[in-house]
Amino acid sequence: MNHKRSQILTALLLAGGFWATAHAGDAKEIAASVCAACHGEDGNSVAPTFPKLAGQNAVYLQKQLKDFLSGKRKNEAMEPFLGSFSDGDTSALGVHFAREKTAPGTVEDATLVEAGRKLFQDGNTDSGIPACAGCHQVDGMGNDRYPRLAGQHQTYTLAQMQNFKSGARNNDKGKIMRSVAERLTEAEMKAVSEYLAGMEVK
Amino acid sequence: MKKMTTLMALAFTGALSTPLWAADAVPHEAGIESEGYVWNKMEGEKLEALKARGDALRGEIAFEICQGCHRKGALGRDDGTYPRLAGQHASVLIKQMTDVRAGRRDNPKMLPFAGHDALSVQDIADISVYLRSLPSPADNGKGDGKALTKGKQLYDKDCATCHADNGEGDGPKFYPRVSGQHYKYLLREAVAIRDGARRNANPMMVKAIKKYSDQDLEALSDYISRFASK
Ligand code: HEC
Ligand code: HEC
Ligand code: HEC
Ligand code: HEC
Repeated sequence: MNHKRSQILTALLLAGGFWATAHAGDAKEIAASVCAACHGEDGNSVAPTFPKLAGQNAVYLQKQLKDFLSGKRKNEAMEPFLGSFSDGDTSALGVHFAREKTAPGTVEDATLVEAGRKLFQDGNTDSGIPACAGCHQVDGMGNDRYPRLAGQHQTYTLAQMQNFKSGARNNDKGKIMRSVAERLTEAEMKAVSEYLAGMEVK
Repeated sequence: MKKMTTLMALAFTGALSTPLWAADAVPHEAGIESEGYVWNKMEGEKLEALKARGDALRGEIAFEICQGCHRKGALGRDDGTYPRLAGQHASVLIKQMTDVRAGRRDNPKMLPFAGHDALSVQDIADISVYLRSLPSPADNGKGDGKALTKGKQLYDKDCATCHADNGEGDGPKFYPRVSGQHYKYLLREAVAIRDGARRNANPMMVKAIKKYSDQDLEALSDYISRFASK
């Protein structure tokens, strides 16, 4: 990363950080009393249909919360718990979970990992699937624009790709993740989900 | 043999099935196959993008959408599937991207990631300035090296007037830089332009390349792929 860009990013982080300190206490409390039931005490859910939030990028987490609130992203399980959060709350919750440490995932079918790695790092030139690493980064850690995928439960990851493919999830800006998923076969989705579950967490 | 290469080029760019949620129709505009075709008409969002002030820093970020195919540093793949974009003239990049968006050059694989949903005109200007600034090292894919003398002879006679002696192209004239490009991509495009499958082609170039056989184009592409590249 060059110097000018890292300065801009630092400025953005500081601006976000100001809000976070104002609400950090509240966010911690909300996380423990409301979110923990499904997403785990430290943001590492146990049930594989609930995503791990720990270590996810703060900007992405806030976007998802806002999308749930506005109905752009739909989920019946989540909806009752998101009554009346302000922008400050969603930002503080994002920062809170982003600071937690991701627990490593568990590979369930090791025979799929190599095919998953290949797809993630190199894409599929026949069907025009771009390498996932191009957006989600080589280490699967994402950045402010693309979510982290490394270490996530394979069940959750697979469901999201299926939802993007069918259009049941359609809150991706510019339809770009739907355009990727549209080209994925079921076998490719399963393989890449296994690879991501076993990816090193940092 | 000639037919075969054309078929392969068509299969490569051939239509992908359309998902249910993609309501937007695939754009299509008349190209070189139609009467009264004018190459590189100065209008629409191409003109807007050319006038916009691009910013390389913003372009680097916007290019993340592209690098899953064109790869980090925009170096492309030597199997020719995805061309190298590093070091290309900004004008050429803007023309090619806006041609794809308008449906003057068919590229169904790329369209969803470079179409109107995904990119603004300002993004196009930013990405183009960024890509122009990138180095294009000489590790691009090459041909078998067996007909380089013939390649040079044909190139100097029929191609250098536009693509320049060392493949630098000409930015203000929208003539692509061809040095540093992957052999297999060069060959596929040369064939597509000769056979009329690349619909945004330049009619003067088509005239220059029309007479060449597949073997001639292999020799030409091989020679071009070996220009000193920076
Ligand atoms: C009743 C269980 C439940 C509770 C309580 C709950 N969630 Fe969720 N959450 C889910 C489920 C299930 C999903 C996955 C939705 C899907 O499949 O699209 C989810 C998804 C999310 C996501 C998207 C993650 C991603 O990777 O895209 C965020 C962010 C989130 N929850 C935050 C919260 C916060 C903050 C709270 C507390 C205020 C909370 N959730 C409470 C069940 C719950
Ligand atoms: C062109 C960029 C791009 C590429 C390439 C890409 N993605 Fe995504 N992906 C996104 C964006 C953007 C989002 C977030 C959408 C949103 O804001 O809700 C996303 C979200 C996801 C999610 C949901 C994460 C969560 O926590 O809910 C999964 C899973 C995913 N991508 C998997 C993949 C896989 C696997 C590949 C490769 C086959 C891939 N992506 C390639 C842009 C991309
Ligand atoms: C899904 C893969 C894919 C993605 C993602 C993609 N491209 Fe492409 N791109 C291609 C293919 C394939 C070609 C070659 C088409 C052909 O053979 O005619 C191409 C060609 C091009 C060309 C023409 C190059 C030349 O020398 O004429 C430009 C410019 C370009 N892409 C820019 C971009 C930009 C900018 C992005 C991101 C906004 C992008 N592409 C994203 C697959 C992709
Ligand atoms: C009259 C000028 C002219 C001449 C002569 C010419 N070209 Fe071109 N060439 C162009 C232009 C302009 C384009 C881009 C077409 C467009 O606008 O899409 C191009 C594109 C190409 C491309 C595709 C480049 C890319 O990045 O996609 C190849 C390969 C090529 N020319 C090879 C040749 C060869 C080989 C010859 C000689 C036989 C030749 N050209 C002669 C003007 C010319």
